[in-house]
Amino acid sequence: MAKKPKIGVFKLTGCAGCQMEIFRMEDEFLDLIKLFDISYWKMAKRDNDDKDLDIALIEGGISTPWEIEEIKCIRKNTKFLVAFGDCAIGGCIPSIRNWIPQMESEEIVYPDPSKICSTKVHGIGEYVKVDAELKGCPPHRKTILELLKSALLKIRPRLRQHPVCVECKFQGNACLITSNKLPCMGPVISGGCGAICPTLGRICEGCFGPMSNPNASALANIFRDIGLNDEDIKRKFRKYSGMSPEFRLEAGH
Amino acid sequence: MASYIIDKKDLKILLDKFLKEFKVYGPIKPGLDSSVDEIKSIDDLHLEYKSTIISPKKFFLPPKDTLFEFKIQKGNYEIKEIVNDEKFILFGLHPCDVNAILKLDEFFSGKFKDKYYQNRRKNSIIIALNCTQPGENSFCKSMNAGPFLYKGYDILLTDIDTKYLIEIGSDKGKKIIQGLKLNIASKNDLLKKEKKCKLANKKIKKILDPNWLPKLAEENLDHEIWIDLGERGGVAGSFPCLSCGSCSLVCPTCYCYDIYDTVDLSLKNGSRVRELDSCQLLEYGQVALGGNFRKDRKDRIRHWMFCKFGAAAGSKNSSCVGCGRCIRVCPSKIDITKVAKSLWRKK
Ligand code: SF4
Ligand code: SF4
Ligand code: SF4
Repeated sequence: MAKKPKIGVFKLTGCAGCQMEIFRMEDEFLDLIKLFDISYWKMAKRDNDDKDLDIALIEGGISTPWEIEEIKCIRKNTKFLVAFGDCAIGGCIPSIRNWIPQMESEEIVYPDPSKICSTKVHGIGEYVKVDAELKGCPPHRKTILELLKSALLKIRPRLRQHPVCVECKFQGNACLITSNKLPCMGPVISGGCGAICPTLGRICEGCFGPMSNPNASALANIFRDIGLNDEDIKRKFRKYSGMSPEFRLEAGH
Repeated sequence: MASYIIDKKDLKILLDKFLKEFKVYGPIKPGLDSSVDEIKSIDDLHLEYKSTIISPKKFFLPPKDTLFEFKIQKGNYEIKEIVNDEKFILFGLHPCDVNAILKLDEFFSGKFKDKYYQNRRKNSIIIALNCTQPGENSFCKSMNAGPFLYKGYDILLTDIDTKYLIEIGSDKGKKIIQGLKLNIASKNDLLKKEKKCKLANKKIKKILDPNWLPKLAEENLDHEIWIDLGERGGVAGSFPCLSCGSCSLVCPTCYCYDIYDTVDLSLKNGSRVRELDSCQLLEYGQVALGGNFRKDRKDRIRHWMFCKFGAAAGSKNSSCVGCGRCIRVCPSKIDITKVAKSLWRKK
């Protein structure tokens, strides 16, 4: 049998939820370790080797000078680098602090900020070349599996970036914007979640980040029309993907 | 064929007979946001509904459908077709939706016969219900698709106050009511239907002349309206399009789909899946190496409207039945009839 591809799972600035999503694949986990050699994954094993990786899944964004060095190092050791989840793609929730002056945000959290050395939060793509993105906070297991299987078969994964509305309609839901006048982010947010929130009657918060070619300004105007003020709107676009080029203006850059 | 009547309170007798032999699907909620789903007893059935979010096309072209499963064993392929043999009744479909199914029939029975579609179609029985309460977005009358129905049904019901008029449209329809003791409809009952039809027609406020729609599309490929709709401004009080795809996903005559394979972790077993797609989505026009025939939003919304106007693929007939779903569902308040009228005015 051909050598199993070597995988590394790394954590930078994030909450570990994306890694947990791999653990949560209980039905597939044993099959996965038959197919891949998990070479580096600190959360899961004691002995780790980060050399010559075929695939690296990077959870978390970059928020310190050390992380900049680390991601460059991982890039050098890896054939196929995956931004695993929204933090790695664009900073996600930790990047909300980019909107507050650095010192001020450090003082909110740490009693003695003089020991803290952090940068603005960015996705890893700001510093190294990224080969694939797995959207979501956290990504859906189906998309994780799709990517890994495609890597083995050496084919392009089918990771569509159509809006949540598509999956919302597949579920047969009434639209929360048109039927309930609620500010749902679905029309600009990438699907992949199966529209769980709208299906439960809750608006999409935006946790899968921008869809392909979103019309963010049109949605911001719709929100204004149903009664949101400018500050509310900014907060909505900042929440998960304020640093993304697609949401720049609406997030208040 | 003869027409019958049944007292509204006796509808249960009719339904119970159907339930014995078939799966029955019908509107399960009142109002505009109803849904056609399984009916188990008369209490589930809400014939007073106005429209459904998702059109009944889902019974013939499901949002996600496994076409076949495959296995690779010692270099050989084994294929197992997935055939759905369930016989079912669609109870209470409105005329626009029945007309939409007739349009889908044409598409899926043309040069290439789609056996998955045709199989489901063959197994279906349509009990239509004339629409006496068309909504504010309905323009079925203009599109020759409502509010009353003249073809495409196996059985047709019309609400005539305390009774339903029952008309038979096919042998299938005749067969399923065999054995029921129904009274023959009187002349007066048929007159009542006429009256109801006139009243319903009067309720429709959205009017459009469909004959100029395909031409309108042909002549306005470069109109600035498409930029307004795609990027800035909007048209006739709307916001610009979001490319959310909702309009085409709920449309009873939009039939475009994507096909892909999935495999399990053995990498040896898999299935071929057909999934509903929409030309409003960026990925729809994407080809190998990243090329895309409709990169700009304005090109996508234009394409969708042209298809509905009837200009796509050289056609001369509108594929829209005027059900109004796309208008209700659009978060940007884009109204296809208003866009058509704006194009007409700005010629
Ligand atoms: S509820 Fe949200 S996700 Fe669903 S169709 Fe409406 S805007 Fe889109
Ligand atoms: S285009 Fe709109 S009104 Fe026409 S059939 Fe489709 S959903 Fe109904
Ligand atoms: S529903 Fe409205 S916003 Fe969404 S794609 Fe259709 S026209 Fe555009």
